[in-house]
Amino acid sequence: MIKMVKIFIDDKQLEVEEGLTILQAAEQAGIDIPHLCYHPAFPPEGSCRLCLVEIEGIPELELSCSTKVREGMKIQTKSQKVIEARQGVLEFLLAEHPLDCPFCDKAGECKLQDYYEEYGLFDSQFDEYKEKRDKKVKIGKNLILDRERCILCTRCVRFLREVTKTQELGVFKRGIKSEIGIYNGFPVNNNYSGNLAEICPVGAITDLDFRFKTRSWFLEKGNSICPLCSRGCNIQIEYHPGLGRFALPQRVYRVKARQNMKVNSFWICDKGRYGYSYLDKNRTSKLVRPNINQKQDINWDEVLDYLTAKLKSLYFMNKTSQVALVLNSWLSNEELFLARKIFNEDLKVTNIFFADLPDEEGDGFLLTSERSPNKRGAKEIGWAYVPFTLEALAENEINCLLIFGSFFEQLLNPAQLKSALGSIETKILLSSHRPELESAFDLILPTAVIAEKEGSLTNTEGLVQGFSPALPPWGESRAEWKILIELAKRLDINFAFYRRLSSPELIYQEMAEEIPFFRKEK
Amino acid sequence: MNEKVLTQHFDLKNLFQIEVYLKEAGYQAVQKALKQLKPAQILEEVKKANLRGRGGAGFPAGVKWGFVLQAVDKPKYLCVNADEGEPGTFKDRYIMSHNPHLLLEGIIITSYCVGIHTAFIYIRGEYEAIALRLEQAISEAYQHGYLGKNILKSGFDLDVYVHRGAGAYICGEETALLESLEGKRGHPRLKPPFPASVGLFNSPTVINNVETLSNVPYIILKGAEWFCQLGLPKDGGTRIFAVSGLVKKPGIYELPLGTNLKDIIFKHAGGMRNGHKLKAVIPGGMSAPILKADEIDIPMDFDSLMSAGSMLGSGAIIVIDEETSMLDVLKVVTKFYSHESCGQCTPCRVGNSWINKIVTRIAAGKGKKKDLDNIIRLASNIKGNTLCPLGDAAAMPVLSIAQKFREELELYIQS
Repeated sequence: MIKMVKIFIDDKQLEVEEGLTILQAAEQAGIDIPHLCYHPAFPPEGSCRLCLVEIEGIPELELSCSTKVREGMKIQTKSQKVIEARQGVLEFLLAEHPLDCPFCDKAGECKLQDYYEEYGLFDSQFDEYKEKRDKKVKIGKNLILDRERCILCTRCVRFLREVTKTQELGVFKRGIKSEIGIYNGFPVNNNYSGNLAEICPVGAITDLDFRFKTRSWFLEKGNSICPLCSRGCNIQIEYHPGLGRFALPQRVYRVKARQNMKVNSFWICDKGRYGYSYLDKNRTSKLVRPNINQKQDINWDEVLDYLTAKLKSLYFMNKTSQVALVLNSWLSNEELFLARKIFNEDLKVTNIFFADLPDEEGDGFLLTSERSPNKRGAKEIGWAYVPFTLEALAENEINCLLIFGSFFEQLLNPAQLKSALGSIETKILLSSHRPELESAFDLILPTAVIAEKEGSLTNTEGLVQGFSPALPPWGESRAEWKILIELAKRLDINFAFYRRLSSPELIYQEMAEEIPFFRKEK
Repeated sequence: MNEKVLTQHFDLKNLFQIEVYLKEAGYQAVQKALKQLKPAQILEEVKKANLRGRGGAGFPAGVKWGFVLQAVDKPKYLCVNADEGEPGTFKDRYIMSHNPHLLLEGIIITSYCVGIHTAFIYIRGEYEAIALRLEQAISEAYQHGYLGKNILKSGFDLDVYVHRGAGAYICGEETALLESLEGKRGHPRLKPPFPASVGLFNSPTVINNVETLSNVPYIILKGAEWFCQLGLPKDGGTRIFAVSGLVKKPGIYELPLGTNLKDIIFKHAGGMRNGHKLKAVIPGGMSAPILKADEIDIPMDFDSLMSAGSMLGSGAIIVIDEETSMLDVLKVVTKFYSHESCGQCTPCRVGNSWINKIVTRIAAGKGKKKDLDNIIRLASNIKGNTLCPLGDAAAMPVLSIAQKFREELELYIQS
């Protein structure tokens, strides 16, 4: 039983949980108390002194980040005394600050900048010399430290002490000469280093991968789930809408962690953070018939009609045993469910395999050993997960091969693969990325990546998480669930069933009806 | 004649040796405490004696022990604060170098009272010779059965260790001292939790000043009533005042709490040197707000000084004569705090350095009209807004000097 206490913040009466700090209680009530060193992942540090508030009956200002609420407490967060103290602290922070916002990566999302706009706006009274500090210290393979901008909140030090427990950073020297640094020869190269640039409230730690590439306000933001392992970390993808001011051949400029206390709390690993180039590189953007040398384009209707005709004829001849389907665990729960309904139940296809990236080592924290996001989902949907091999193809006189994804190329010997494919009449690839063996296929259908789709994934622990498109669609590509629904409707084996399923949400409802595992909140 | 307590045997040759100390009725307080008294009786006596901390804050020692006494779930520790870093303060070094066994007696009785079996003496790094003397005294105490297992067959065990600091003023702040003792960077901790509940190695910890603990054996031997009548009703005992500056006889003077500051300077310390006139006095270590010459007719106790806008602090009296430039005083003060700020919290880290830069500039003849107002504004923004008392300690002398000697300081700016 949680005990509630009654408090007053800025004369507003609130009922809050006992044990919360004033800052947390204010945050819940939508009252912003400025703070720099406080981060919800760590115990209060109390060093920036920006979150001071006035409490009735206490002569001195108190820290809101560490003071817990008490019954009847009357707190002022915007009184004259508080504002003056806040301005005093801001003045101290800015006195030694280089004010190089025009070329600082953090500009636009810098808390010091925001707070000055909100509470400061005073002229500088600092007529002295600023301390000479290092402007560019490489503290890790992805990180640059600017000691002029550093406000010594020690979020970075505490992250490495309390989250990764690797302790690469420390505070060195004393007083005004205090500085953050690494111990000689031991840079921040752990798999979570990128989080430091993200939790730095100012531009002191910047990310080499992002440094000077764009301004934060040019970027659009979309939420998604990281598909690079089976943890299901919540992420935010930031991309340039259209062509960038400083055009790079990419849409996506960075990936950030999105808070989810059930999965990744505030963090993501460097593999997920820096592994975003696949979103833009080597993508399939058009429907392609690699072996037909003609300029005339084909469209989705033609392709789907062709595919329908092919499958239907085999179905009516009772020859769907000659069809082989290769799935992968980057497909959403909805897509894997649809594939089961259409191919397994309607068409009675039995040669169904999976081709995923091979497992690698996990890191014991967030990164798991699986390199695909939905193996657990495939299992729960009922897939036996038969690995795709060339022997499997050879054993079953395959006439029509449908492959989802290009992961199979990572698993099989290219020469053998090419010759094996050569003996199959119809080879169709549905992939978001161009395969090496493009010419071995009759038809390549461009598909969307998870960041461009809607659906749900089941992480390694069985947590089902929904996601919506974070990025606009790529070229002519289509989400697999859309392709599957279109195909099912055209096959017309169970039209009434598929006609209703016009969105991943409706597919999910159907799936939950059938599979008890999915009868839970996403 | 004033009754001396802590310094009464200082004239004895080799008092630091246990044989000499024992001849002067030494270790009788430990005998009495461990053999005749229960911990609760000792606590009661110390509370009745109104023994207030001699380190600076003046917190009642008995109350502090009471908090720790109640804790039962973890080992408890005693940390003796022998960092003595407050400029002008040099009393603890005399106790430790002249009469180390008195301190050890205090440590033993306090530990017995609170149920502590491990005590650390955190001594400032510069006191190397004194640390060696303490080590010697501790080993003598072990040999004579006053330390170690089953002390005086009472069943009580106690080990005492000496730990030398590395020269940071901030490590005299009790929580920074704990961090330093744990082998970490000497940064003050956020309070609460207080050391009495979460102290050294996350365990309940008593932290007391050397002088405070050295009073304990006499309270045990002579009783709380005797101790109270030595000083004032609310401040029991004597105080060792460390008088420095331009007086004829600088040094330590053990006097009753409440002795008039004027008498200390003009009677005990022999008055001003070279016939110069008195200009100002810093009454309680450098962080105490300064008193002008006409403000020194005042009893030296916690409450009187507080109502005069200053503080008793560590009882270190710094005497300044009319020949001394207040700008020089301000320069020394701001340079010290700017150098000794640990750098953890913003106002203290930046503010003290900023003030020092302004004062240095004024001293270089480049003062500006707005400088004094700026100094006062900045010091006010430090005061009360920092993580530990160092911010206040730095801001108070600056504010009082800049306000009380404004006319003199303005001369440096105009010329």
